[in-house]
Amino acid sequence: MAASSPSRVAAPPHTAARASGRGAWIAVGIGVLVIAALFLIDALAPALFPTSLPTRAQDGLTLAISVLIESLPFVALGVVLSIVVQVWVPPGVIERWMPRRAWARRMVLSLLGMLVPVCECGNVPFARGLLMRGFTVPETLTFLIAAPIVNPIVIITTHQAFGFDDGILIARLLGGYAIANLIGWLYSRHPDPDGLLTDRFRETCALVLDEPGGRGRRSLAQFVIELRAVMPALVIGSALAGAVQVLIPREALLAIGSNPALSIVAMMALAMVVAICSNVDAFFALSFASTFTPGSIVAFLLVGPLVDIKMLALMRTTFTTRTLAGIVVIVVLSAFAIGTVVNLLA
Amino acid sequence: MGTRWLGVGLASVLAVVTLGLAFTGRLGLYINPDSAWFAVGMAVVVLIGAALSFALPLGAESDHGHDHGASAPAERGALRKERVGAAESGHHHPNHPDSATPDHAHPAHPAHPAALAATVVGGVAASGVVLLTLVLPPASLSAELAMSRDVGAPPLFAGSDAVALASTGDTASFGVGEWATVFATATNPDAFDGDTVTLTGFVTPGDGAAGGFDLTRLVITHCVIDAQPASIPIAASDALETGQWVTITGTVSSTADGRLQIDASAVEPIDEPTDPYEY
Repeated sequence: MAASSPSRVAAPPHTAARASGRGAWIAVGIGVLVIAALFLIDALAPALFPTSLPTRAQDGLTLAISVLIESLPFVALGVVLSIVVQVWVPPGVIERWMPRRAWARRMVLSLLGMLVPVCECGNVPFARGLLMRGFTVPETLTFLIAAPIVNPIVIITTHQAFGFDDGILIARLLGGYAIANLIGWLYSRHPDPDGLLTDRFRETCALVLDEPGGRGRRSLAQFVIELRAVMPALVIGSALAGAVQVLIPREALLAIGSNPALSIVAMMALAMVVAICSNVDAFFALSFASTFTPGSIVAFLLVGPLVDIKMLALMRTTFTTRTLAGIVVIVVLSAFAIGTVVNLLA
Repeated sequence: MGTRWLGVGLASVLAVVTLGLAFTGRLGLYINPDSAWFAVGMAVVVLIGAALSFALPLGAESDHGHDHGASAPAERGALRKERVGAAESGHHHPNHPDSATPDHAHPAHPAHPAALAATVVGGVAASGVVLLTLVLPPASLSAELAMSRDVGAPPLFAGSDAVALASTGDTASFGVGEWATVFATATNPDAFDGDTVTLTGFVTPGDGAAGGFDLTRLVITHCVIDAQPASIPIAASDALETGQWVTITGTVSSTADGRLQIDASAVEPIDEPTDPYEY
């Protein structure tokens, strides 16, 4: 701190530093008061609104809130990791360990999910951190698509649910890894990878690179910027997931039943709609295992973590709609193909 | 100000709601209590960050770069290329930094009106959802939703462990979810004949068996969005409204066609319990 070494600092900056330091603590105090006020509102307001919403609206809201509460910690962890890779890890430290060839880099990055214990919502801010750090768009996409599936927690829960029956676990892992590298490779052929990003994200990157001040200040700025980018998308994605669940009757999808091809389509549609975390979707899929074909279960387990409603809303913060449409098409077609193969073999 | 509210603000409100639910022991209404420590820990991190972010002057996170205007995105593209350039050199990379300049030199500020409108609508919608979360009392899912999720397939959350456990007769800790699994998968129904049970759940219409209803409970793996209904048939003479919470006492019996059901000796209507889900 400047204040602790007055001999080396001229007087005006010294007093200025002390004054701004005091101002900062006052500001933090105001922040604490605001948060305390939020706690008071949270404790007291429900008593003021005793009338409840209509059943269906209330169910939709309950579902949305549950997704929010469940994913907020992962998003926070993702933001923290994003700050770490962007601000605290010196340039070159990660890059030094990476292979030089682009396809090999992508193959390694798609295994990064094994080390970074963030579920898919947290991957988005973390991936943004990687992009700002200088990873290319195809490399980051490869990580973003692979990490929700090639991930220790997902492997464990999928194994708990299915064991090695019907090759579901193997098909899910290899399929997720293959789809991620396919998408990475296709987009590495794109003539203008930076054009895949939204203008807003490119502006954010420009701001972040120029961010002045020490690491603490840059971390705070990054915290503010990342939450601003991710939170509205997370809330809207969760609200959509909740609304869709109370509006679309599940029977409509499930009536399609055990037809080998249609069941795959039905389970992929269900996966996009229900927006369940990849950590637990295996248990959810398990209850469909008796009525649906193994291939459709694999398709569900591949599509859900990658391109469900909530995930699309989050990815839209960073990638253009056109890019997302391309990703959805590739994921759906690949998952359909893998599901069909599993159905033929099983 | 808008930036702060939509980012740190929304996150703080949700963190406050999470901690409020945790303090009052109601976090189980939304997520599996097993992962509560993580939700609470990260909520505290968010609030600490939010308090500290007040020290960052308003707009400080976006002051810089506005002067760069049009060229900022392209500059950044070039910069990112430089950083990875060394590693990428072996690979043919069609995107020369210069090529990004003409297409993407949108001025940073006057945003497209449609984009602006989308931002505003999205921001208002997100704020609305989060504020409703803050001011409305927490609620559990309705019986109607539980019924609409019943896909006819037996729930298998507990897996074969429950069946193995049940055949040893140690069923004291079983809830509706475990019993539903046992009922659906037991290969030797007579083994359970005569077991006494006390179970709590809500009433849903049975599948036509005379004078009975289904006792249903939603089972959660991780959070409420993956809730799945588990139900077991109850033979009882009481006529109860769908959605009514009850505690039943009775014995397991196998019917003539080899299915299991519970013959209720007592059905006691109760208020919804504070822990409406099984995990």
